[in-house]
Amino acid sequence: MNLNAAAEILFLDEFSAADMPYDAGEEALLKWKTSPLDSAQATYQVFASTMQTGGWIKVDEFSADKKFASDIKLPFWAWKARKDLHAVAIPLETHFGKLEKNKEYFFKIISIKGRQKFESEIVSTQVKRNWFNFARLNNLVFVLVIFGIFIWTVSHAKRKGLFIRRIAGLDAIDEAIGRATEMGRPIYYITGIGSMSSISTIASTFILGEVAGKVAQYDSYVKVPHYNPIVMTVCKEVVRQAYLQAGRPDSYREDMNFFVSSDQFSYAASVDGMITREKPAACFLIGHFMAESLLLAEVGATVGAIQIAGTDSEHQLPFFFTTCDYTLIGEELYAAGAYLSKEPMLLSTLRLQDYGKFFVIVAVVIGIALMTLSVQYKWDLTDKILENIFKTY
Amino acid sequence: MMLIKRYIPLAIVFVFGIMTLATYYIPPKLAQDYYLETMNKWINIVAAFAFLLALLSLFYSHYNKIKRKVDGWGYSIFVYIGFLVVVVCAIKSEGQLMTGPALTSLGWIFRFLYNTLSASMFAVLAYYIVSTAFRSFRIKTLQAFVLFMAALFFIIGKVPLGNVLWNKLFFWTNVSISQVTDWIINVPSVAAKRGIMIGIAVGAIVTSLKIIFGIERQYMGKD
Repeated sequence: MNLNAAAEILFLDEFSAADMPYDAGEEALLKWKTSPLDSAQATYQVFASTMQTGGWIKVDEFSADKKFASDIKLPFWAWKARKDLHAVAIPLETHFGKLEKNKEYFFKIISIKGRQKFESEIVSTQVKRNWFNFARLNNLVFVLVIFGIFIWTVSHAKRKGLFIRRIAGLDAIDEAIGRATEMGRPIYYITGIGSMSSISTIASTFILGEVAGKVAQYDSYVKVPHYNPIVMTVCKEVVRQAYLQAGRPDSYREDMNFFVSSDQFSYAASVDGMITREKPAACFLIGHFMAESLLLAEVGATVGAIQIAGTDSEHQLPFFFTTCDYTLIGEELYAAGAYLSKEPMLLSTLRLQDYGKFFVIVAVVIGIALMTLSVQYKWDLTDKILENIFKTY
Repeated sequence: MMLIKRYIPLAIVFVFGIMTLATYYIPPKLAQDYYLETMNKWINIVAAFAFLLALLSLFYSHYNKIKRKVDGWGYSIFVYIGFLVVVVCAIKSEGQLMTGPALTSLGWIFRFLYNTLSASMFAVLAYYIVSTAFRSFRIKTLQAFVLFMAALFFIIGKVPLGNVLWNKLFFWTNVSISQVTDWIINVPSVAAKRGIMIGIAVGAIVTSLKIIFGIERQYMGKD
């Protein structure tokens, strides 16, 4: 062994250990300056221990032309992506199990080139939990801006003068319920297979409230078969309140909302059976859907029901387009609550949706132009800034 | 009454909405350890109680069907029979699907009844796609014509005979049918899909804010 004899070959300059920034206190970060002699023929071996005097475990090994600070994928505001610095993140839990609080961890590096070796000094650090992921600052700024605009639009809600384009699917609700009343057949309202944490399911309950209110007024009958028990409980309350508000509490029945199955195809088979037997005049398929979308919508189309669908599952939209009379596409579904209730505060939030889309359009157009120019004229900095700002970390 | 029915639920939604949003800005492991795991436990507890209610609702609705002898009431009897059989088998098999290499009675039900019935239901989807396609291909509007043309190119592109015919008839275009189908998938289809997705994403953000700040509260029943 010829330790330290090759110090002039691969000497570790400014070797240091620190806590890995923005993590949950699981990794240590080792840094040292690159050497002009770093090459694929040379190797760095990284050792770690809980003691200064021994118990060394080899935690990493790599050729000297790899692992630079610029390889660590963090944005420019959170990390200096230097190419003249080696940087290695050591996952301590992998090697030492559950980490103890305030415990010191020791590190050393042996550089090897040919038969010669150089052993670095021993450095140490403690790891700590970082409670704010600074790398996600870009996202936080966007969220705060959206918060600000949201509060502004809501506080400036106007009663009149806000143009809202017609949404045919929502305008057809009256027609569908009227048809059901005339034919004396029930209405099926299907909330899909989403849970209550799915935004489309929440949006579906908004529409259910409006539909149930109108059903109560027309003295028709709505059936709401459920896939999810929690959604069923929420919908029961929504329908009950709608009947109360319509002044028809006597017409409300507990079995309007009923549980069918928490299995996708059992649910579809059961609801298909009910639709085939009862031949409803109208079917609403509004919420989160997957493969059962076509199974449900096609059966509804076969029995001649007027069908209004709405989902944010873009893969299911083609099936609804081809089988339903009206389809609410994604954002229309979210806007339905505001559209139907005509409440000024809710309507004003639609403006925020428009501002959001306008921002995306502007960002896409400017982004395309800047990225094209940066490639053409080799503006690496512009390229990097744009990439970092619009990336999720 | 208003306090219990409106203000407390709205406060819970606001606090947990903001906290859940905040977890995005702390490292995932810490969010998991200190918040998400606890929330998941609570959700499971609520779901367990809700499931009991759901079971009661299921039995009640099928009981009514049998009592009123509505169309297809005979199927409702199978709900009770199926439930009892599975519960008895699950108790007998101690909830296990296999004992060593052998299937338990519960495992047998899953493999030879449940799985086959689910697969059959999924297979019906293929038939429905055909019947839907048939209805959609009746060209009544310009949109239906565009849909039909896109589908026609696809069918030609995916069938070997279609490839042969295309090569014979349209060789002079110097464009293969796979290039046409790839273009349809990668250009107009992706453009439309991304447009929809951007709209959905923006709509989801605004809807979330409306719920967190209690502006949209129809999911709690009307005021």
